[in-house]
Amino acid sequence: MLKRSAFTIFKSVVIALFLREVQTRFGSRRLGYFWALFDAMFLVLIFAGLKSVLSKHSMHGIDYPVFISVSFLAFFLWKKIVSSSIGAFSANSALFAYKQVKPFDTIFTRVLLEIFVSIMATLVFIAIGLYFQFNLHVQNFNMLILAILWLILFGFSIGLMSAVFSHYYETFGKMVKIILTPLLFISAIMYTVDSLPPIAREIILYNPLVHFMEMIHGYYFITLDTRYVDYEYIFYWTIIPLYIGLYFYVKGERGILST
Amino acid sequence: MIELRNVSKFYQTKHNRNYVLNNVTFTIPSGVNVGILGRNGAGKSTLLRMLGGIDFPNQGIISSPNSFSWPMGLAGGFQGSMTGRQNVKFVCRIYGKSDYEINQAILSVKDFSELGDYFDMPIKTYSSGMRSRLSFGLSLFFNFDYLIIDETLSVGDKNFQEKSKKALRKKIETCNILLVSHSMPILKELCDVGIVIHKGKIHYCDTIEDAIQRYNNINK
Repeated sequence: MLKRSAFTIFKSVVIALFLREVQTRFGSRRLGYFWALFDAMFLVLIFAGLKSVLSKHSMHGIDYPVFISVSFLAFFLWKKIVSSSIGAFSANSALFAYKQVKPFDTIFTRVLLEIFVSIMATLVFIAIGLYFQFNLHVQNFNMLILAILWLILFGFSIGLMSAVFSHYYETFGKMVKIILTPLLFISAIMYTVDSLPPIAREIILYNPLVHFMEMIHGYYFITLDTRYVDYEYIFYWTIIPLYIGLYFYVKGERGILST
Repeated sequence: MIELRNVSKFYQTKHNRNYVLNNVTFTIPSGVNVGILGRNGAGKSTLLRMLGGIDFPNQGIISSPNSFSWPMGLAGGFQGSMTGRQNVKFVCRIYGKSDYEINQAILSVKDFSELGDYFDMPIKTYSSGMRSRLSFGLSLFFNFDYLIIDETLSVGDKNFQEKSKKALRKKIETCNILLVSHSMPILKELCDVGIVIHKGKIHYCDTIEDAIQRYNNINK
């Protein structure tokens, strides 16, 4: 057989895994695609709808539904990346019978898939926003994209680390998944850091996700800024889990393969 | 050619290490079909998995310039939620086949495996015989130097057994096989040399008859 380079093999494995994940996630029927999107949008619609009807919040120069949709889309992108990375090894373990398929590829593919689904959901939200004539204006598009890419990388490093750790201790993955849901309320998603009392502000800023949310809000909305974002702090939160995750992955890859 | 140098493989049990290979060094020359014998749990499947590149020795090196198929066994290799067709596509894709070749593969595997409607059903609904028919039919589509076969030839009805043996005999003209089987007639028919795994050691025999003899002595 022809010898192929490591990168060529990686590429074809990721494509094959991606198509397989699409098939199992969306099913073979066309309605499956609708459900996959609906799944991503359901909570956002509920929360955005409820919040914007109930809340007396008003933000200067911001349509509140837009604010909450942006936050939720970003948060769920991150959350889905982390939670689906944790299950990546066990869901694909039968495919490790083919030596081309490495555990890392399964995580990488799942992250790609979450990004893909998220883009689709975002497009639907943009369409809804345009239809209802919300103010979708973005302050700094390039920085916004960079912020989202950083958020994805952050999700990837936490996801990789959790996946590798939960290979050794199964409960670790479960614990991370339990923590993920309450994060919704303490990550500056439905409010801004600026709107909090100073003492709460200080506490909540220990949560790295708050910085990401503030960064995304700050670059999206003209009337908000990124003054609370500590770039160094989230840099460490990205790089340290990534390093730990990769280190233990390299040490444990063979163990993961042969289970 | 396959070379094993000081290869050890053990499984950790509660109190000690259970060696399936203990400091084994030997070479399988090119161009021979190898039958692998040993009692249950002796390490036959582990050896095949290591040759297939999905398991690794604790010490030592296994090296070969040749290409190996995935280990075709009764168990793994399939994700239960995928259909037979999806699985064929998946394997072709990881080997970098083009769309045209994938369609060719689907036609030939569907035809060979005789799965009928089950070809488009999830693999978890398959019997073990159907699984190995799919796996075996798929492997025939690729040009490996070595086919790694773990007990799959003895499944299926008489008709299918004959058919796969015939297909395998044709395939052997261009490649070699590493075959684990408990059926002596199949081993005698298809293999040239034999290795017997027993208590962490490997005995290489120049003829398959010697290997079978040795294996029978172990069982006495």
